Amino acid sequence: MKNLKTSTKMLQSVLLAIALFLISCSKDEVSEPEYNGEDAFVLSLAYQGTDGNFTYYTVQFDDVMTGELTAVGKGIDMPGYYTFNQIDEKIYATGGFELTDIIALQKKQDGSLEEIGANASFANSLQDIIETDDNQLVAIEMSSSSDVISLHRINPESLIISGSTQTSASNIADTTGPTYSGMVQSGNYIFVSYYLSDPTSFSTNYTDKAQVAVFSYPSLEFIKVIEDGRTGPVGGWGTHSGLIKDESGNIYALSHTNPANGYSQFTQDAAILRIKSGESNFDPDYIFSFDEVTGGKTTAHLVYLGNNKVFTEINMQNRSEQSAWSDSPLKPAILDLSAKTIDYVEGVPEHSGLGRKLAATSLYDGTYIYMVVPEDVSSYVYKIDPVNLTATKGAEVQANFTAGFFKL
Amino acid sequence: MQLLHQLKKYYPGFLFLLIIVLLCPSVIAQNSFNLRGSVSTRQGELLPGANVVLQELNKGAISNIEGQFEIKSVPEGSYQIMVSCIGFQKLVKTVTVNQVNPLSLDLVLTEENYKIGDVVVTGKSATRRVIEQAYQVASVSTKELFNSTADAKAVMNRIPGVRIQEEGGLGSVFNFTLNGFSGNQVKFFMDGIPMDNFGSLNLGDMPVNMIERIDVYKGVVPVWLGTDALGGAVNIVTGQKNNYFDASYSVGSFNTHRASVNGAYTNPKNGFTVRGNLFYNYSDNDYKVWARIVENNTVTDTAWVRRFHDRYRSASLKLETGFVNQHFADNLLLGILLSGNDKEVQHGATMNTVYGAITRNNWSLIPTLRYKKKDLLAEGLDVSLYSAVNIGQSQVIDTLSGYRYNWTGERFPVTTSDGQASNNAEFYRTYSTLDESEFNTQANFGYALSTRSSLAFNYAINYFHRKAFDTEHPDNIDNHFPKSLTKQVLGLAYKFDLNKKWSTTVFGKLFHIKAKTSKEFDFALETQRTEAVENKQFNLGYGLATTWFVFPELQLKLSYEHTSRMPMPEEIFGDGLFVGSNPDLGPEQSHNLNLGAEYYFRTNDKNRFALGGSFVYRDAKDLIYTVVTVSSPKTHFDNLSKTRVMGLEGNFLYEWNNLFHLGGNITFQDITDRAKMIYNESYTGTGWQQNFHYGFRLPNKPYLFANLNAGFTIDNFLKKDNAFKLNYYLNFVEEYFLTWAELGTSNSKYVIPRQFSNDIELAYSLKKGKYNISAECRNLFDVKLYDKYYLQKPGRSFSLKLRYTI
Repeated sequence: MKNLKTSTKMLQSVLLAIALFLISCSKDEVSEPEYNGEDAFVLSLAYQGTDGNFTYYTVQFDDVMTGELTAVGKGIDMPGYYTFNQIDEKIYATGGFELTDIIALQKKQDGSLEEIGANASFANSLQDIIETDDNQLVAIEMSSSSDVISLHRINPESLIISGSTQTSASNIADTTGPTYSGMVQSGNYIFVSYYLSDPTSFSTNYTDKAQVAVFSYPSLEFIKVIEDGRTGPVGGWGTHSGLIKDESGNIYALSHTNPANGYSQFTQDAAILRIKSGESNFDPDYIFSFDEVTGGKTTAHLVYLGNNKVFTEINMQNRSEQSAWSDSPLKPAILDLSAKTIDYVEGVPEHSGLGRKLAATSLYDGTYIYMVVPEDVSSYVYKIDPVNLTATKGAEVQANFTAGFFKL
Repeated sequence: MQLLHQLKKYYPGFLFLLIIVLLCPSVIAQNSFNLRGSVSTRQGELLPGANVVLQELNKGAISNIEGQFEIKSVPEGSYQIMVSCIGFQKLVKTVTVNQVNPLSLDLVLTEENYKIGDVVVTGKSATRRVIEQAYQVASVSTKELFNSTADAKAVMNRIPGVRIQEEGGLGSVFNFTLNGFSGNQVKFFMDGIPMDNFGSLNLGDMPVNMIERIDVYKGVVPVWLGTDALGGAVNIVTGQKNNYFDASYSVGSFNTHRASVNGAYTNPKNGFTVRGNLFYNYSDNDYKVWARIVENNTVTDTAWVRRFHDRYRSASLKLETGFVNQHFADNLLLGILLSGNDKEVQHGATMNTVYGAITRNNWSLIPTLRYKKKDLLAEGLDVSLYSAVNIGQSQVIDTLSGYRYNWTGERFPVTTSDGQASNNAEFYRTYSTLDESEFNTQANFGYALSTRSSLAFNYAINYFHRKAFDTEHPDNIDNHFPKSLTKQVLGLAYKFDLNKKWSTTVFGKLFHIKAKTSKEFDFALETQRTEAVENKQFNLGYGLATTWFVFPELQLKLSYEHTSRMPMPEEIFGDGLFVGSNPDLGPEQSHNLNLGAEYYFRTNDKNRFALGGSFVYRDAKDLIYTVVTVSSPKTHFDNLSKTRVMGLEGNFLYEWNNLFHLGGNITFQDITDRAKMIYNESYTGTGWQQNFHYGFRLPNKPYLFANLNAGFTIDNFLKKDNAFKLNYYLNFVEEYFLTWAELGTSNSKYVIPRQFSNDIELAYSLKKGKYNISAECRNLFDVKLYDKYYLQKPGRSFSLKLRYTI
């Protein structure tokens, strides 16, 4: 037996030697020193393989306004289909190739990124993660093919679940296919917006009213569904911006019923409704009607900036002209919830959208908004001044799309 | 400039013509009255490259590619003639040479020893046997493996250029890769009949005992297979003998049982024959894996656990009856193949998702007809015909409501806060049934124009029809449309021998498909509708294969084909769920080139060597991949990508006195992404984007792997006619990346680590192999083995096999 082992080892060594020779013949690995400084931008860059699979690389950059941004030789890689959300000093990654964990990226002492987590694993991929007033995380599992909606309260430090509830989807819809479109927490409530989409054909046959499910916080128990017939369903496919919250806890619900964002029909005008802070019903006195302001244009993306200002990307085609699922063509604008105005940002070309959560794919650092805009073939960083409504073109992004734009 | 442009456009065609002109046969006649003959196998297949020596004169010759040899100027007398050929037992006999009546010898060699080489020996007509000769083909005889529990898959995994990525144990899903091509790009045949839609009979099911030989054609596929393979083809040749019986049973770890009965009876007078193969496989596949235990959404532990839902069963019966060696037919056989399997599904594409109730099953019923006749109507006209109907059904069942499993095998109810049980299935609620029917016919004609040139013509037609139904989703609109594909392939090959050392075949192929499907129009608009559509397309393929015996021991081979793979029904039609249809989908195309050399030599009677090497080049474009639409859940297939394969393969074999053999091979393949642009329906206005992986090696594909085998055979061990055998196999795969190597920091990369697996087999045969008992151990050192993502393959396993033959 010993001899056999020895000869095996010998054979293995021979093969190994050949292997190493062949490897050394192949080209050298590309590597660049990583930026480890303070105040780094962090971009989650998505690379599409020719086989259609994606890999995400979360990379630090100190300058996003010049040169080229690439993941060659740097960044933490994550195969699969991920979504990213920055909450405080961590970036939470959910999704991935059959991975239903919650993973966080954070800065180490030396300034480089590290991956933590893998303590919690869910039955299905998490749709979204939000932060609560008491600095906890709430995550949701909700899919049009599932009859259960799960809410989880998670400690952001340990990534351990402190409480979960399962709610039957039949509570919020008589038919199958409630599809998640947005979530916020305010006071004693969690609000979850959704629309009804057939899990097989994706057709949306119920577009006459806005619906938001109300849960208690922190106990996460289902309370009721609130409805409003002044506009259609809230939110759309993948954008997760059906609901936003202002600094005083008022909730705004966006209805667009855009064919470009997953609707097969629209029967109501696009509008924004309000749920006043502390309440759990739509405010009958508030409506932001898009038709009056934009002349028929709508938006599927809202990011709350502060002081009633909202960063948005307006779809420049009327709904009847939009091509299905395209999330295009978009033009950035600043929307005022109280003045009910929309002001377009100049200097950014009309572009295609990602159909993803704009709050994750753009960065507001208190002064400027950074986002990656795809042009004909390449993509570029644009720095937007939301006060003066101007924009500056920055670095070229050497990735197929940018799934997250953050600052840690 | 215009002319130059035109020239460029037709350049491949010009080149092709030029080659034909250059290689046109200039027949050189030779006459001599000397010692002539042929060397053949016991099955009557002519053997090229055999060494024929008159020992007294120390004079000899090598048989040519038609198995013929000639030794000139032999004086009258009696000699010991010795014939040897690698892989065959040496033959020594006495011959008397009389110059008045030149002697013609028919020398028959008996096969011996397991071997991997590039020697082609096929049971086709004489014309086409030679046509096949120049192709880059690896042919493995399974004869020496009959006492092992190996199956077709395991045999092929030891061939250079071939890599089989398995997900688990017996019956698991696997991915066959040949020079970097996989999936539908490589076509499989059983005795020349396409296996594309043999859902119920896979390579892992077929025991070695039912197989005689496996031929793997690399990149360049002879016309007689009548197919549109992009990266090559595999033909599994089942038992061809007229009279035999072989029964075996093996039992092994993980409650694995495999039984097979194979036999043939032929009436020597009237040629009536009955032949059959029967097998049954069973395994619980309950081997241990290192897995994460999740309870209540929390990871509680990582532990070694037994797989608990991975049972696999398969059975198959193949029967053929008819006549052989009659004036009306060399063979006329009517047959039936009945097979089925069922499988429990333990996990998804990774081990992060664990299932406890999802199952799959398949069955198929395949009547077959084959006819073959040499010299039909005219001398030199050989005809063969295969026909098969394939009626099959496959099901995927995921209907367990309201439970989730973890890796300990425990199941947890999914209930809501108000006590309602969930109706969710484990992955996607389905009880889907695919009813598939297929009709295949192939006709081959070979005609010898002269002793040095011949023509071969092939026509193949394939009709495929699929109907799908899901009882859980009866309204699925895509399932309401019939889906069919008719594919026709015409092939013409011309083979000529410039001289006895040089043989060349040129060939052309014509493909035609007609697909019928349905397509959704104007989604989200008032005019939204689904309509039936039809799609027809033509395509051409052409190539050349040439071989040259520089000197008798050294053979060079060059083969090239411009290949195409026509789209498959599921690529045009989608899966009826999230994969939409694309009736505009065209064929995948590739330029395939092989350059190979084989060198056989012996230093004396006892030491025999074979060395081989080849260079493999593949330049593939219009590869069919899924179009990504991130802002939409639906995808479809399109002709998008380009890859290039540059590979080197080497193999060697050493035999000493029929007692010891050592063989091995190594494959290095650099598969790189050559598409400068990629297309997706998101992100940019044009849909086109730079491909940031241009020039990078494709991830998740092994690029360096090797096999080694060594064995002893001791004849007349302990007792006369008893034999003892020891075989050892080593398989090596170099570490490879799951994601692009060039992106991301190297220390955070996902890799499949470097792996060595060791297998050992002991066999003892009594009474010239009538009774056999063998024991084997796979994965001897119980190492963690993976092929795909982190799906663990079985650890150390043992098995015992009993076999009886007549």
